[in-house]
Amino acid sequence: MLEVRRDHRCCDRFAAAETAVRTSRRRLLKDAVFGPPDGAADDAVPGFAEPDELPRAITGTIRDISPHVLVIGNGDSDTRIALTAGATAWRGGPLDPAGVQPGDHAVVRLHRAQRGVADRIWANIGRVTGTIIERTAGWLLVDEGRTRPRQMVTIPRRSKGRIQVRFPNLEPGYLIDVIGLRRSEALEARIPGTSQPAYPVDRLPPPAMLAGRVPSAISGSATWHEPFQEPPGLLGALYPALDPEAGCAEDPVGGIPPRFAPMPYLAVGSRLLIRNDCTGSSRTLPVTGCAAISRLFNDRCVICGTSPRGRVADLTLASFVALGGELERGCFNATITIGR
Amino acid sequence: MLSIVVAEAREVQIPLLSAVLLAACAAKFARILRVGSLDAGLGPTALFPMGLRRPVALTICIAELCCGIGLLVTAGPLGRGDPADTVRIATAVLFLVATCALIELRTSHPETGCGCFGDFSTSPVSGRTVARSALLAAAALATIDMPPLHPPHGGAEAGRLLGILAAELVVLAALSPELGEGLVRLGYSEPCELRRLPAVRTLTALRRSSQWRRRAGLITADVPVDMWRELCWRFVVFPARAADREAEVVFAVYLRPHRPAIHAALVDAVTGEVLAWPELPARRAGPGWSTEVKPAKPALAPDRSRRPAPDLVGSGVLAAPTDPGRGIPAYRDPPAPRPDKDLPLYRVL
Repeated sequence: MLEVRRDHRCCDRFAAAETAVRTSRRRLLKDAVFGPPDGAADDAVPGFAEPDELPRAITGTIRDISPHVLVIGNGDSDTRIALTAGATAWRGGPLDPAGVQPGDHAVVRLHRAQRGVADRIWANIGRVTGTIIERTAGWLLVDEGRTRPRQMVTIPRRSKGRIQVRFPNLEPGYLIDVIGLRRSEALEARIPGTSQPAYPVDRLPPPAMLAGRVPSAISGSATWHEPFQEPPGLLGALYPALDPEAGCAEDPVGGIPPRFAPMPYLAVGSRLLIRNDCTGSSRTLPVTGCAAISRLFNDRCVICGTSPRGRVADLTLASFVALGGELERGCFNATITIGR
Repeated sequence: MLSIVVAEAREVQIPLLSAVLLAACAAKFARILRVGSLDAGLGPTALFPMGLRRPVALTICIAELCCGIGLLVTAGPLGRGDPADTVRIATAVLFLVATCALIELRTSHPETGCGCFGDFSTSPVSGRTVARSALLAAAALATIDMPPLHPPHGGAEAGRLLGILAAELVVLAALSPELGEGLVRLGYSEPCELRRLPAVRTLTALRRSSQWRRRAGLITADVPVDMWRELCWRFVVFPARAADREAEVVFAVYLRPHRPAIHAALVDAVTGEVLAWPELPARRAGPGWSTEVKPAKPALAPDRSRRPAPDLVGSGVLAAPTDPGRGIPAYRDPPAPRPDKDLPLYRVL
């Protein structure tokens, strides 16, 4: 019967302040040996982006909304945001911003030029990415990795066709990635997040072999994940190839972690310069944990051309929005530069 | 002359098509043996619902096998006329259908390999793959209504046939992404960024190094306080005490099993400031320590002052800066590896 696991945490997750301090220390110690990194490209600056530098995403609960003002709260603090005619919203589909309701959990992207003005609102958006482990007539049970709770997904009749075009195998053992409306117990899937790999997870094709030096810049797909035990507004990325010697809880005990594509090994706290190839925005972000499910996908992001490889980073919600990603589209074409 | 060359080019297509079909069938069969299933296939079977993938994969394999053998059997006088043309038309239809399927696959599943040659065909379908299939379809169409093959008359004809065959093989190789994959497998050497090296081996190599011997006098604990990996380097941090200040010695060890390059720096534990290496304490005798008297060395600058550019170091081109310093207490013998102690320590981290 239904077993929803809620007792796992990643061994090295970046959410805790203690880990953040250690990550900062690692950066300092590495610079002590090798010197500070070279100057960054594009609009990126050396050092990690701070939440204050990227104020483009605000997450919280809608307290009040009128045709011109939105009040969003997070804990004890409320933020008033102006709504203009140019603002757009999403709640399972396109929506007039005034249609967002008090009590909705929302992600608001602020206008790039005008602070305090909403550019786009996503209400109750959620995402489930993982391996189907159980299927009944009404729902799917999805495993998102050992450090996250299992998720229930329902697929309403009107969305079934759209999702099954991209995910023909809604059977245990196959991967799923859907975006939809977050309900109390389950995600109501509305949009496929990607195309389903043809293989079940226990029959992953062997990873391609790379020769020579691994390039420092790798292009692929950057996705986002729902926060779980992450502080609101956390800027960072889950990376699909953490050092297996670190003994991450996501890795099989005594075994080699399954992966589709070979990626250079990094650790929590490593620097990634992530560039949105569609918008040109880029930022240096820390690796905050392991993207255990991302390494199983061999999908491509097709937002602006076809990405040359699969998932290279799984961004926190705030990072994804700040880099110009549209949450309901699931990904953006990205280039990561390691070691900057 | 041109008509002779065209006729000879048509003759070459029969063995070539047969070889391609039988090789493709063999590669797919090898994959089935390795994976143990037909339905985990690559390629156009991804276009079909799960229930149809197994029969479709089986049909493709059987069709390739039959056409490959059929082309050979009917190449001579045995299959003159309709039997030979039937096999050749079937081959052409097979390649035409494959071309259409690859175009559709490229559109709907851009990440999927064509699966034409099993595990070798894992890279996404490209224009080259489609062009190769179309070229083979055209080659099969060119063989229809061709008289039976005969052995070449004389060396000149044989030379021309071989030349045509070589030219066509070159074209096919240029259109085959599998060739690059095969060459990579032959000469594969795993880049250091992807290499797995147990942490215990890093610790063992570190304890054997001259860098360790030079800094061991400052280190106050056997247990590293932090250890992590980034690309080709593993960083190991030990608590230390220098000039009555709490400090940390950080070693960067290149991920190579033997004699890795090692860099070190001394950092203030509180402020994070990089410190100069202090003058070393008076030499002490005893087990494990050198009794040879060497002139004391003045305070050492941090290693980074004489460090080569990180890129060059990272490439492993430069020699490891691990020469023992003078006047620095040194182990008489390198300490023995301690896998029983080092491994549990690292797991705790």
